[in-house]
Amino acid sequence: MSSAAEARFRVQAANSKPRAITVVALDGPSESVVRRLAGASWSRAAFFTASTGKPVDRGLTDLAGRTTDVMTEVEAADLVVMIAAPSGPVPGASVIGQACNVKRVMTTGLIIGAASASDEALSNTLVQLRPWSQMLVIAHADDYVDDLLTALRA
Amino acid sequence: MLKKEQNDLLTQTGPGTPMGQLFRSYWLPALLTEELPENDCPPVRVKLLSERLIAFRDTGGRYGLIDEFCAHRGVSLWFGRNEECGLRCAYHGWKYDVTGQCIDMPAEPETSRFPDKITLKSYPLIERGGILWTYMGPEEKQPPAPEWEFARVPPPQTMTTKRLQESNWLQAMEGGIDSSHVPFLHRSDLNTDPLFRGAKGNTYTLTDTRPVFEVVESAGGLYIGARRNADDGNYYWRITQWVVPSFTMIPPRGDHAVHGHLWIPIDDENCWTWSYDYHPTRSLTGGEVAAIRAGKGIHVKYVPGTYRPFANKDNDYLIDRAAQKAGRTFSGVEGFAMQDASLQESMGPIVDRTKENLGSTDSGIIMARQRLLRAVKALAEHGVTPPGVDIAHQRVRSASIILPPDQPFNEAARDALIVRPSVAPVSV
Repeated sequence: MSSAAEARFRVQAANSKPRAITVVALDGPSESVVRRLAGASWSRAAFFTASTGKPVDRGLTDLAGRTTDVMTEVEAADLVVMIAAPSGPVPGASVIGQACNVKRVMTTGLIIGAASASDEALSNTLVQLRPWSQMLVIAHADDYVDDLLTALRA
Repeated sequence: MLKKEQNDLLTQTGPGTPMGQLFRSYWLPALLTEELPENDCPPVRVKLLSERLIAFRDTGGRYGLIDEFCAHRGVSLWFGRNEECGLRCAYHGWKYDVTGQCIDMPAEPETSRFPDKITLKSYPLIERGGILWTYMGPEEKQPPAPEWEFARVPPPQTMTTKRLQESNWLQAMEGGIDSSHVPFLHRSDLNTDPLFRGAKGNTYTLTDTRPVFEVVESAGGLYIGARRNADDGNYYWRITQWVVPSFTMIPPRGDHAVHGHLWIPIDDENCWTWSYDYHPTRSLTGGEVAAIRAGKGIHVKYVPGTYRPFANKDNDYLIDRAAQKAGRTFSGVEGFAMQDASLQESMGPIVDRTKENLGSTDSGIIMARQRLLRAVKALAEHGVTPPGVDIAHQRVRSASIILPPDQPFNEAARDALIVRPSVAPVSV
């Protein structure tokens, strides 16, 4: 049943519904990546930043500057992707991560620009993301995020 | 998911294809040395990267890998006579040496220069670690001989087998870096298989069934870390190595031999799964060798006289529904290798990745595809040597290790992830 001839008889109906993916930039360097991503065409991806200086527990800020409730945004998502660069503190990670825990939403942590980072800077960011990421990726190139979202049908 | 054109790009490896060009950048395992056991032994058909070839070992012990078909009338040289430093076609007696050069045409006048004009395509064939390796790329770009540790340790410390896998190479390889399937598909075998059981790490694996995965780019490919809770607030890490395009090394367990795979395309719908077990600092025990020969661990039993698994798609992999129901196996199929292969082959010869629905636990697969696509494009458009050609990328090890909770595993385990001669693998 796994021959090339049999493969022609695979059911062609859609086998999934679109998933909502929320992408949050946790710091300045990742915000520029998220802004670039937001300029592309996605079917169910929403983009936010937590690098505005405002505490995230007061709300998530979208790229137009509007603030919305963290719990509401997380509840609407099937997956939350948190992006950070190896650098300073990312307090938003714990707030968003806790909300995802409460709402039982999957989280992926993504550290970009790792190739040029010091071990200490990388470790610092890692420690903050690790408790809140069910999957953690340390990527050298920023374009991994594009491929991740495409692969997840965002 | 992948777009159709990306899927085609990664799964097609014949001559002239971009992915085929990438595979032709490496030394690839072509045969086991046992397949050409003595001088002037029978030739062996070899199909690699959609090219039909014939391998032989001449009177002087030189290995040859040449176009399967005689340049005269297109007859297969598999029927040929391997004698007096060449392979002679059984039809009209044309004879070729290991470089593919025609050296005799018995029907032509003795002074004829016609043989000088006839040369079959040939590829180099070298022996390392009980394997005959070939390089199918441009001569001027031939890399140094392979340096994988399993192929460099003394013969008593290593053993490799191969098996036919009736699927495209990519879905087989992706199974090798998909660590999240282990607690499901293979859970029943961890404590029973002689090449796995008894390690302390197995306890962590079976106790903490929800590992967290971290994927980190390495110079040659990826480190894929699976993190579980260990004692005293520490983490138990299992770190798999993947090196472009298709090498994996599974994290070790206790003092067991270390194992892993290479997946090499035969054509676009079949591949060879090469499976090695080795130990960097000791000989394999008689028990380990016997277990490998019996098809335990990541190895298989064969249809006699072939490298096709005895459990295969024509007999539904000997699925045992009673064992599945009783929990003796998760899928009903016996053994790590065929548990994997049965499911990978069930996807069809080339899985349609436009229909898949990946989750975040598939990040390793997503990143591996990205690295492959990047490498293919860089090679095709700019001639950039792909990762994995550099022998430094081949001198790697997997590891299983206990680490504090605040450290990047690839940094904390840096020494454990490279080959250190005479140093045992870091293993729990």
